[in-house]
Parts: sequence; C-alpha cells; structure tokens
Amino acid sequence: MSTQTLTNETLQAPAASRWRSLVTQESVATVVVSLIVAAAVILPLLVLIVSSFRVLDPGGFDTTWGLDNYRTLYTDRVIPKAFVNTLIVCAGSTLIATFFGVALAWVNARTNCPGRGRMEPFNLVPFFLSPFVGAIAWHNLAGGKVGLINSWGRDFLGMQGNLINVDNLYGVIWVTGLFFAPLVYLFVIGSLRRMDPSLEDSARTTGAGLVRTAMTVTLPLVAPGILSGAIIVFVTTAGEFGVPFKLSAPYGWQTLTTQIFSKAVGDDANIYLGAAMSMALGVITVLLIWIQQRYIAPRSFTTVTGKGFRPNVIDLGGWKWVAFAFNLGFILVAVVLPILCLFIVSLHPVWQSRIILHDLTLHNYVRTLFFWAPDHIAAATNGIYNSFILAFAGATIAMILSLVVSYMIHRTKGFGARLLDFLCVVPVGFPGIVIAMGVLVTYIKTPIYATLWILLLGYITRFFPYGQRNVSSVMLAISEELDQSSRMAGASWFTTLRRITIPLLKPGIFAGWVLLFIIFLRELSISIILYSSGTETLSVGVYYLTNYENDTLTAALSVTQTVMLLACVYIFRRIAGREALTV
Amino acid sequence: MSAMVTLDRLSKNFGAERAVRDVSLSVAQGEFVTLLGPSGCGKTTTLRCIAGLEHPDAGEIRIGRDVVAAPEQGIYLAPEHRNIGMVFQSYAVWPHMTVFDNVAYGLRVRRVRGADIKTRTRRALELVGLEHLAGRYATKLSGGQRQRVALARAIVYEPRVILFDEPLSNLDAKLREQMRVELVRLQQEVGITSVYVTHDQTEALVMSDRVVVMDKGVIQQIGDPHDIYARPRNAFVANFIGATNLLEGVLRGRNGDICDVEIALGESHAPVRIKALGGNVVAGDQRMIVSVRPEDLSIHLQAPDGDGGNVFEGEVIDTVYLGNFLECNVRVGTQEIGVQLDHYMQLRPQQKVFVAFEPDRGLCLTE
Ligand SMILES: Nc1ncnc2c1ncn2[C@@H]1O[C@H](COP(=O)(O)OP(=O)(O)OP(=O)(O)O)[C@@H](O)[C@H]1O
Ligand SMILES: [Mg+2]
Repeated sequence: MSTQTLTNETLQAPAASRWRSLVTQESVATVVVSLIVAAAVILPLLVLIVSSFRVLDPGGFDTTWGLDNYRTLYTDRVIPKAFVNTLIVCAGSTLIATFFGVALAWVNARTNCPGRGRMEPFNLVPFFLSPFVGAIAWHNLAGGKVGLINSWGRDFLGMQGNLINVDNLYGVIWVTGLFFAPLVYLFVIGSLRRMDPSLEDSARTTGAGLVRTAMTVTLPLVAPGILSGAIIVFVTTAGEFGVPFKLSAPYGWQTLTTQIFSKAVGDDANIYLGAAMSMALGVITVLLIWIQQRYIAPRSFTTVTGKGFRPNVIDLGGWKWVAFAFNLGFILVAVVLPILCLFIVSLHPVWQSRIILHDLTLHNYVRTLFFWAPDHIAAATNGIYNSFILAFAGATIAMILSLVVSYMIHRTKGFGARLLDFLCVVPVGFPGIVIAMGVLVTYIKTPIYATLWILLLGYITRFFPYGQRNVSSVMLAISEELDQSSRMAGASWFTTLRRITIPLLKPGIFAGWVLLFIIFLRELSISIILYSSGTETLSVGVYYLTNYENDTLTAALSVTQTVMLLACVYIFRRIAGREALTV
Repeated sequence: MSAMVTLDRLSKNFGAERAVRDVSLSVAQGEFVTLLGPSGCGKTTTLRCIAGLEHPDAGEIRIGRDVVAAPEQGIYLAPEHRNIGMVFQSYAVWPHMTVFDNVAYGLRVRRVRGADIKTRTRRALELVGLEHLAGRYATKLSGGQRQRVALARAIVYEPRVILFDEPLSNLDAKLREQMRVELVRLQQEVGITSVYVTHDQTEALVMSDRVVVMDKGVIQQIGDPHDIYARPRNAFVANFIGATNLLEGVLRGRNGDICDVEIALGESHAPVRIKALGGNVVAGDQRMIVSVRPEDLSIHLQAPDGDGGNVFEGEVIDTVYLGNFLECNVRVGTQEIGVQLDHYMQLRPQQKVFVAFEPDRGLCLTE
C-alpha cells in the first residue's frame, strides 16, 4: 500500500510534489491552530491595552485618546485604597496558605501522624470548591451580626457583640488563605515525598540533629516549591473576586477586583477605566508569574534518583496526636464547618442566626433547582443549566485544543512550536477578571456579546493552559518513536494521531477534562463580567441570590454547587486514581 | 588490635520480614571489612543499624567502647552522636550547596573554628582530588565527582568509622575500577576503619581485609578474600563467590585432609570415585557436595595416564568464546560441568573428552 503511494508521488512533476510536501496535513493544522490560539489569547489583551487609553467623556458617550484613566487610578478616592487593600489581602492570604500548605504537606508526607492516608484527599477538597461559596459560608458562620458562632456566643455565653467577625479584610485573608492552601500543599508534597532519603540521612550521619537537618537540608530543598506555591497563591488571591465581594466590599473595603467589577457593570460603568485597572492588576500578576516561571521553577532541585525510595518518616511520638488534631482542624474549618453551616442555613425559610427545628424545610431547594416550580428563581435554574453546558462544551473544546497544541509543541520543532508554547503561558499570568475585561471590550459590539459563546470564549482562553499542561506532561513521558513508527508503517499523520497518540494520552486528556469541568462549574470572576440576563452561570446565580434574594436561598444554591463539585471530584478519583489530580 | 565496631547478635525485622538475624561481627581498628551478598540479604539494613538510621530489634552494637544501640537495655544513640561517616549509593550530595559547603557541613555542625574549617575542608578535597571544584554547585558535577564529594564529606571530620553503601554501583565500569583503587589507597592513607557494603564480589575481593558473606539476613562466612574464595564454608558461598561446579556425592572415606567421594552420574553411568579436600566434613556415608572451580579443571582428548586421578568421561555440549578464554560445558552422565580453557583450544559439540582436576582443587562442602 504505502509503496504504491510512494511510486505515484514520485511519478509526478517535481515542482508539484514539493508544493505538496509543504501543504501536509500537519503543517496546515499547525498554522491554523497557531492562528486560533493567537487570536484567542493576544487579541483580547491587545484590545484591553488599547481601550485603557480611551477616555470616556463626562457625558458618557464619546471617547478621546489619553492617559486620564491611568491618572484616575491614583487620584480617585477609592481606587488607591482598593489597591492597598488588595496587597494586604494577598500578603495575608499567602502567609496563611503557605503556613497551612507546608505544615500539612509535611505532616502527611513525612510523619507518622495517624490516618494520614485518609486525610490526604480532604486536604485537597478546598482546591475544588468555590471560594465565593466559602466566603458565604463563613459569613453565615462568623459574620458580624448573622454569624452562627456569634449568636451562640450571645445566647449561651451571654456575650455582647461578636465573638469573631469575618466581615472585613481579615475575613477575606482567612477564607482565601484556607482555600488556597492546597495550592502550596500540591507544590510541596510531591518533592517531600519523592526526595531521596539519603540526602537527609547523610546530614544525620554527618552529625546534624533532626532540627538542623530539617533547616539546612529538607527546607532548602523544598524552598523553590514553597516559593512557587506562595507566588501562585498571591496571584490567585489578587484575581479573586467572590471573597472580597462577599466579605469586605459591602463593609467598605474595596479591592481591585471588586472595583473592576463595578466599573464593568454597575450604574457608573466605565469599561475604559475598568480596562486601565485591569492593566494595573495584570501587570503585577504577569510580573510575578514571570519571576516564578523564569527564576524559581527552574531552580527546583531534582532530588529524585533511580531507586524506589521510601521517604524518611519521622516518629513524632506523642506529638503525632497534635499533628492529627491540626490536620483534622484544617479539614474542619476549610471543608466541614462551612458546608455544614450552609446546609443548616439552607433548610430555613429565613435565617435568623439560630437553628429553628420546627421551621426546617426543603423549599429553598425547590425554588433554586426545579425550573418547573411556579416560584422558581430563573437566575438559579438558568445558572445550573448554563454552567453544565459551558463546562461540558468548554472542557471538551479546550481539551481538543490542548491536545493539538501539545502535539505541536512537542512533536514539531521550530518557531511555531515555541510561539505556541509562549501563548500557552500567557493566560496563566492574568487573573480571570482581567481576561474577561479583555474579552468584553473586544466583543462588546459583536453578536456574540450577551450569548453563552462569549462566556465559552473567556473560559477557554483563560483555562485551556491547565488542560494543555496535563496533556503535555503525559506526552513528554511517551516516546516520540511510538508515533514515528506508526508513520513508518504507512499511517498518515491524522491516522497516527487518532490511532496511536490519542489513545496513549487518554489518562492525561481525561484528567485535564475533569479538571476543566470542575473549574468551569464553579467559575465566577469571568462569568460575572461577561454574563447577561439569561446567560447566568451557577456562581452568577449564587451572586444573584446573595445580592437580591436572601441568605437561605443563597445557601441552598451554594450547597447544590458544592455537592456537584464534590461528586465530580469523587467520580474522578474513582476513575483516574489519586495520582492524576495535580495542577 | 582493638575492635572498633562490634555487632553482637544483631537482629532487625520489618514486620514479618526478618531482614537481619543474629549477626555478630567485630571490625578491628583500621580494618576494611566488606558485607557481601545477593540483593535483599540485609547488608544495607545491617549498615543502617550501625549508622543509627534503623533501630535494631535485638542485640548490641558498640563503636569503640561505647554501646550505641542495645534495644534490650533501651539504649539508642542518634546517628549524629555516633561520630561516623557514611557514603550512600545515590551520592546524596546536597544540590543546594557548593562542593565546599557540602564538605564543610560536618565541621560546621561540630562548631569547628572558621579558619580550621577552611584548611581541613581543603585538605579533604585535595585528598579526593577535587580542590579545583570547591566553588562549584553539586548539580554541575559528574557521577564520579559527586561520589568523591560524598567521600570527602564523610572523612573530613575524622570519624571513628566510615560506612559505605554500594558507593560505586552507580558508576560506569571503567570509573568503578579506578575508584576502587583510589578508595583503598585513601582508606590506607587515612587509616580509617571501614565497613563497606556491596553485591559485587570482585569489588569485595579486591578491596577488603575481610569479607562477610551474607544470605537471607544471616552471616554465611567471614574470612579474608583468599579464604572466602579458596575455602568457602558452604555451597552458597562457593557458588556466590566466583563460578563453581557443584557435584553432589556421598562420602565414602577420609584419610587426613583428603576425602574419598562417590559421585553419582545417573542410571546409564557408573558412579565415579574422586578425591578432594575434606574441609569440615567428617562422618562416613554422608551426603555432601564437591565444589570445583572451572579454572581448576582441565580437558584432555585422551584418558590421562596414571590411576587414581579425578577423571570424568563426557562429551562437549557447547563452547563459548570469551576472548581471553574459552568456556566449555561438558556433559558427564546427568551432571553438567563448566570448564575454563585456553582461548586457542578447538572443540566441537558432541566430541568425547576427559575432564580432570587435582584432588587439592576440589572441596567437600555440606549443603
Ligand atoms: N524500610 C523497610 N521496610 C520494610 N522492609 C524493608 C525495609 N528496608 C529493607 N527491607 C527489607 O529487608 C530486606 C533486606 O533489605 P536490605 O536493604 O538490607 O537488602 P540489601 O542486602 O541491602 O539489598 P540490595 O543489595 O538490593 O541493596 C529486604 O527484603 C527488604 O525488602
Ligand atoms: Mg542495599
């Protein structure tokens, strides 16, 4: 067969065959995909930059070119404060997340803390849940007036005022810190687990005690991982919209994200000023991510050597129960208490900060879930429906894109591959809200505005690199010779992709797909900028309820979303095993 | 000479797995002792017990005069208090430090004065020939260089004992040979007591003052290299150290050192009577094994004259040309005997030959 085609081709005129060899399936696909990715990633950012130099007239209709938007950033009454608040929140959240992440990783990887195998998956759960919902939960748990803990303090302890209050910047720091701790945890636990134990053993035999070994060998070796994790937390917190929106903005502490939001929608909307603020936020995050990728990630030490190692496990003696309590405490405050509290709240017709047993009802679930119920809330039921469509379509399209892009990066050489590689890192540097502003200013005057398509575009642009990384890591592990030998056997490029490459990559594709599905199901900061009436998503539904309805309806939809996310995580772990889920 | 390391009925279990059983051993001051055995026989575990990286379950370990581990008396000294040095198979050179910092680590931990740290680290680096790389990061070194750093790091603070866990097994063959020689030279120069673990018998024979052969957590034999090779105590040691032919037979008589053994060759062949060194075999009519090394056997095309010699009649199965010699397998009844020959001999399969050996080259062993 293959010899047949070969002779046919050689029989044709040389010029024609040269032309043919240029227009192979492979090269056409590469060019097309590069253009698509470039358009998706670069265009919104370019338009965002350009828009930030357009100044809205006081009348609000015409624009002129100028730097006024940037001037406003520091002359405005609110924005400079929002900027400072953002930095405070980021620093605090990074500290808390790093503390919990490192401590928990160490306890789980390196100590004989009881039940560590069991607790491990729960330590990661906050990573898959919505921080916005976490903020709502903590508001109900420990908010100023409404918090359950505070009302208990008043009822049972006879206290005046509040026991604790999370309705402020500290609350934002606390909730984001808890929710982003798994990011650090994931960065650290791998290197702690796979570290060659003789690195530490040789410190011991050389004369260093346990503590000295930990400080001079173990810690420096995982430091790049810790630092990377800390930077990611800082950047993620900077882009976090839901938590400050719920916990601090209503009480007078604005952050950059809440300000961008109010400039994008709101009554005094000014998307050009919003664009300038997005630029300010984006510059910070891009810079940090660049430092992390350029200087810190490459410095991480390869401490793994050939042999199958058992990591050194430290016998904590009696302290192991302290470690156990610590880990359990984290799971309690980050997962169990918030969900439990939301569930309790969701069963009440109205929330009066105390449990009223004879009032309990499931009516809130009827109103948020059953679209046929006469008193259903459209924003909620629409949100569920839209989110599933977006998550399914978004994850699928993003993974197809990831697959093709990864293939081109790793299997074709040259400029196109390097360009694609770069394009895949860019979106990671920008918070979702910044990308969303870019997409908004780019497509606001096109027909896709106010449809699900614009949301889909925003989702995929921002998050497909995550899927791409999953596929790439597997692709790097698969020998190139496997698909080369398929080509040798006479299969075309496309057949090879379909019959050899994709089946081999299945685990990576699946892991990436589910990760994106989960991310899209809880996405807020892109949706909040790009949705319009009728295209609400799940998280937008929660936003709508918390803004325009009551706490108990909000809690019901929050619980619904949480249950959906947990179910996805559970199914995924059953199918893919525990190794597969890494960022 | 006084004993530097003493193990007394040392035992260590991992759950049901009895990794080390009743190991007793005494290593003299300045001696180089090798633990040799197949994979999983408990060498590393024994070494890690000495280092203090494992807690033994029973027995006693002494370094110098100090009891460093005696679980029955609740004594356990942490590794950092034993004043030992250890070199690991994976080098374990810290990648976040320079070569100098790696080597100086043990001195810094011991709070040696700054100036002394410099001179002593220099000296250690000179000893391993790495003084020119002092400022380099460990990640930018070759395998052999890393191994030298690990060595310098372990000897710089002049520990009482240095422990090696297969330090050369990650190096390529050429470098391994070179490092072997260097290690021994260094050990003699410094005069430090060494316990060395390997599964490579050549390494053990070349380097050690004494070899400890282990199997399944139990010591099979302790002796100097010549002893171990020429006078293995049992079939396991004979087979593990070098290649050997193990012929099953029955003891028919003993005359001083020489035993008279009958080797059964199956139904169709008459048993052959041979003479071999007695070793520790005593009683008559005892089942035992005669071990003969391939290089101690010779092949003849005609029956060698003189009677009473150890001769088997057989036919060639095949020959393997190995360059410097020829390996020939001969079928003798139901037995198969490997013979090592001069490389210019020409033999073809099925050819009839006679295999012979001198009585003092055969060794009677219990199973
Ligand atoms: N930490 C451990 N936990 C459980 N079993 C262990 C552990 N360390 C060693 N073992 C077991 O104890 C036995 C002896 O192991 P050891 O590492 O001492 O062997 P070794 O002689 O050094 O082998 P090798 O030549 O392969 O290094 C092995 O069967 C091994 O599986
Ligand atoms: Mg070993």
